[in-house]
Amino acid sequence: MIKIVNLHKFFDHKHILKNINLEIEEGEVVALIGPSGSGKSTLIRCINYLEEPTSGEIYIMGRNIGNLGKKIDEVRKAIGMVFQHFHLFPHKTVLENITLAPNLTKKQSKEEAEKKAIKLLETMDLLDKKDAYPTSLSGGQKQRIAIARALAMDPEIMLFDEATSALDPEMVGEVLNVMKDLAKTGMTMVVVTHEIAFAKQVADRVIFMADGEIVEENVATEFFENPQNPRTKEFLSRVLEY
Amino acid sequence: MNLVRLFVEYKDYYITGIKITLLLSLLSLIIGTSLGSLLSLFKLSKLKILRLISTFYIELVRGTPIMVQIALVYFGSYVIMGVNMDAFLAALIAVSLNSAAYVAEIIRSGIQSVDKGQWEASRSLGLTNGQTMRYIILPQAVKNILPALGNEFVTLIKETSVASTIGVAELMYTSKIVQSTSYQPFNPLIIVAVTYFIFTFTLSQLIGLLERRLAHND
Repeated sequence: MIKIVNLHKFFDHKHILKNINLEIEEGEVVALIGPSGSGKSTLIRCINYLEEPTSGEIYIMGRNIGNLGKKIDEVRKAIGMVFQHFHLFPHKTVLENITLAPNLTKKQSKEEAEKKAIKLLETMDLLDKKDAYPTSLSGGQKQRIAIARALAMDPEIMLFDEATSALDPEMVGEVLNVMKDLAKTGMTMVVVTHEIAFAKQVADRVIFMADGEIVEENVATEFFENPQNPRTKEFLSRVLEY
Repeated sequence: MNLVRLFVEYKDYYITGIKITLLLSLLSLIIGTSLGSLLSLFKLSKLKILRLISTFYIELVRGTPIMVQIALVYFGSYVIMGVNMDAFLAALIAVSLNSAAYVAEIIRSGIQSVDKGQWEASRSLGLTNGQTMRYIILPQAVKNILPALGNEFVTLIKETSVASTIGVAELMYTSKIVQSTSYQPFNPLIIVAVTYFIFTFTLSQLIGLLERRLAHND
């Protein structure tokens, strides 16, 4: 589904990603963890080319996305992304936020897109907010709308970039539950997260990054029960301390 | 009242002056805004050469007085190209080119003030650059652009008075004529000030109205 080969990324002279090689299968849920500044956000942003790699290749469903030029939009339609700060469109209602992209890029009729959006809002338990503007919503509600907006495109892959990091603690659960349900449907997911418990429960595989490198990766149970690398051990002991 | 009598006595002059001022303002507003929009896109372009051109242009215009610019167009057209340019046309070109530089900066900063995350969210959904600009960025940028653009339009109306220096028979020029024919140095100035004020005040009220309407659906 996703294949990353010898990926490097520099910001000016800073080496952010160092020779990343990674393969993610269809239906797999992969959690990316690591200290801040380790490059995990940059890596996930490279997957839909919001960040352009300095060198290396990224294949999405067999297509090398580095040489697509303007056709990158085709690939992006198949990759949903959820951001830390939601980035809902403040001048559009909740319903318009969700229907805009399918309507514009998939040429879905307004009715068709709305029908789908209403169904998504129902599953998120937010149907009563369909005509509200984003400013009137709580953080947890905003993030669930943002997930619905991405899902309205029927993506093959979902990327979550610290989707719960900007939320008040009491709202983290409602968003994680939506993500958990999504994982059960067989969606391919890449999740950058600080929620270790979530990674443990939901992820099939956990990847630990530090200083722009993949330090360790393993199936989730093995990863947490039996970490190999000293840096992984140190990181886990620190985040699991409390 | 002395002022009213003076205005009525010279009303033909004044009406011509008002017409020319309004025409000059309206035309340069349209041309200046169109050209300014284009320049702002240049400034936001990925191509360095386009960015350089617009930066150079904007700095040049902002760094020189409009009175000099208007004289440069009027006399320069003769000296450089041998064309005897109509004074109104010269004023129109100078004021439009001047306004374009300011409008470009206003639009650029309005667009850049929209959170970068809006671009990313939109592009991640598969919208093209153009669709993102049109459906996501511009509608949000307008709210930042409009107040500053209103200021610029008010300034533009006032600056058309500089056209009097090259003999365009607009409002300020009319006022000078009335001053010298009526032997009254002061009252014509009051009339001209009040007239400019009526124009600019009406315009800023209209823009205020538009702003409030836009703020409504927030």
